[in-house]
Amino acid sequence: MILFEVFLNGILLGGSYGLIALGLNLQFGVARILNLSYGEYLMGGAFTAFFAVMLWKVSPFLSLLVSLPIAFAMNWLIYRYLMVPLVRRAPDQDALDADVVLVTFGLLFICQGWALVYWSGDLRGYSFLATPVHILGATVALNRLLSFLGACALALGLFYLLRHTRFGAALRAITIDPVAAGIVGVDVQRTSALAFATGGALAAISGMLISMFISFSATTGVEYTLKALIVVIMAGVGRVTGTLAAGLLLGVVEALGGYLIDPGLTIAINFALFTLVLLLRPTGLFTRA
Amino acid sequence: MDRRTFVKGSAAVASATALTRVPAHAQAAPDKLRFGYTITQSGPLGPGAESTSVSQYRLWQKRVNDAGGIMLKKFNKKVPVDFVAYDDQGKPDELLKLTERLVQQDKVDMILGPYATHMNLASAPIINKYEYPVIMTTATTAKTYDIAQRWPYAFWNISQPKESTEPLSQALAALKKEGKIKGRIAVVHVALEYGVEMHGAFVEAAKKDGLEIVISKSYPLGSADLQPLIREVMATDPDAFIAMSYPPDTFMLTEQCQVVGFNPKVMYVAIGGVFPTYKGKFGDKVNGILAYGGVDWNAPGVADYRKAHREFLNRDSEAGAVNVYAGLEVVQQAIEAVGEIDRKKIRDTIASGKFQTVWGELSYASQRNANPWAVGQWQNGDIVGLYPSNKAGAKPLLFPKPAWS
Repeated sequence: MILFEVFLNGILLGGSYGLIALGLNLQFGVARILNLSYGEYLMGGAFTAFFAVMLWKVSPFLSLLVSLPIAFAMNWLIYRYLMVPLVRRAPDQDALDADVVLVTFGLLFICQGWALVYWSGDLRGYSFLATPVHILGATVALNRLLSFLGACALALGLFYLLRHTRFGAALRAITIDPVAAGIVGVDVQRTSALAFATGGALAAISGMLISMFISFSATTGVEYTLKALIVVIMAGVGRVTGTLAAGLLLGVVEALGGYLIDPGLTIAINFALFTLVLLLRPTGLFTRA
Repeated sequence: MDRRTFVKGSAAVASATALTRVPAHAQAAPDKLRFGYTITQSGPLGPGAESTSVSQYRLWQKRVNDAGGIMLKKFNKKVPVDFVAYDDQGKPDELLKLTERLVQQDKVDMILGPYATHMNLASAPIINKYEYPVIMTTATTAKTYDIAQRWPYAFWNISQPKESTEPLSQALAALKKEGKIKGRIAVVHVALEYGVEMHGAFVEAAKKDGLEIVISKSYPLGSADLQPLIREVMATDPDAFIAMSYPPDTFMLTEQCQVVGFNPKVMYVAIGGVFPTYKGKFGDKVNGILAYGGVDWNAPGVADYRKAHREFLNRDSEAGAVNVYAGLEVVQQAIEAVGEIDRKKIRDTIASGKFQTVWGELSYASQRNANPWAVGQWQNGDIVGLYPSNKAGAKPLLFPKPAWS
């Protein structure tokens, strides 16, 4: 019974891992930008939710009305005015990667510094729906369950968008070959900008969802960028449902390993799995050979 | 420092000196006292450093300068406080480089302590080498018993592992003797120096007091889900749940205990349990929870301090920060007693004197705070000090902890 509960909690935890990685995979996969400041929009979403609950006394979900447009617009502007000039002047993908990493690394510090000045470095957290839900005799927290359902909804929505809409077809075309996509009439720059902005908006949503059950501070963002990066690399760049699946795998292995072996080993188990995937399938678990 | 406070401070100094007859040697008085410190502003320890230390440094500076500054008897003049601060990123090697800089290049008058046990330990030898007296306000380690003698310029303000855990163990043993609990104790700790030392000290004390440790587990800092661990603890059916935890997991443990409906009769969390954010998150559910540290909110001067804290920092003070503020008051009182910046004399004054602070009366026999607060508890929505029970303002234990409801 307890084992089933541990497994279920691993699924929920894995859902949150997948959730935080979705947006990054969109930015990395389609726009081909490794955005190291990704976690900062997640942190921004979490803070907005915190302010919604503590200051405005409303549901954290309403905070999305504020954080979502801001994250979307900021990421669009970043792509349009910071990334496009880099893309234009880069002789090849390697040079572009180096430039992008440096610029987004700088952005990370600007966002973090801004948050430290205006929101201080204090630890934040609020209590929302921390009530037990019983599923087949196992107990899980309602807020973690909601965040998991949010992750599934977002992943499925994104999957539908990519597979069954014209815009999605354009996105996939760019993922495969941006030059050829341009030749057949896809507005590569505009579509990439939208994908990048959507990735940022997803970061804000996931920040809001996980803020229901974690505590965070102005310097939390970078920790989540790293976690998201691990999931993206494991899943394979550009794989949406694969991202969720890789997150779930991590969560379940971490929970079961922690329970069956030792809770002190959870982080070690995570990295062992990551290393194993890198050795056996370096392009990711869910990429076609 | 804030320019406005500086202007106000210097105006006050100017008017004070204009009114009194200026003694001949007043010309030699410094126009400001420069305090240097390195502290963690970026990285995982940043939030704790801000909440516990940096906020207090700034508040103290503001209050001292609003009152004209620190009185230097030798010059019969109040001198405002100025800060030189660096971010050490929580890395001991950075701290060493930056402290060298504070001494050699900035030539600061005094040095204030860094944040977190390992950083305080890294700082002690270097401030001792340059003979700067420093009150270390955020170090909990058994090592202080030896190093207090080796480094005479370092003073240790807060409760060390042995003193922090023995009263807790004795309180549990007393409950067992009265037949209120069976004496089955579950202990978990975060895999950090602080967690390991607190855990070791508690287990030793508990065994001596005849308590039974039914489970003892560690977990890494930054764990994403502690519910499986709580389930393991619950399976042992303990009366008391003792967590030697750090801020993020202190919050997660508390919330997940509520979710699974784990209601031990006694629950202890270590660092973070006294933060105002903790109360902000859990509201009245915090009542009955025991935590590391303590404070007597009715001690003289505390009401004014708390009011100034709310006005200046827009939030309540945390019990763990009161000791930091008290350490600054000790430094100020020692400087004023000596009447000039003579660091050898200031060191001797701290070592031998008694100081009235917001954290009660402090003295430093063998450089360690003679009787610091060890254990506190949330009662009626406020953190209060419980142990050592011979301290002024110590409250009786609230038992059993109310159920989460």
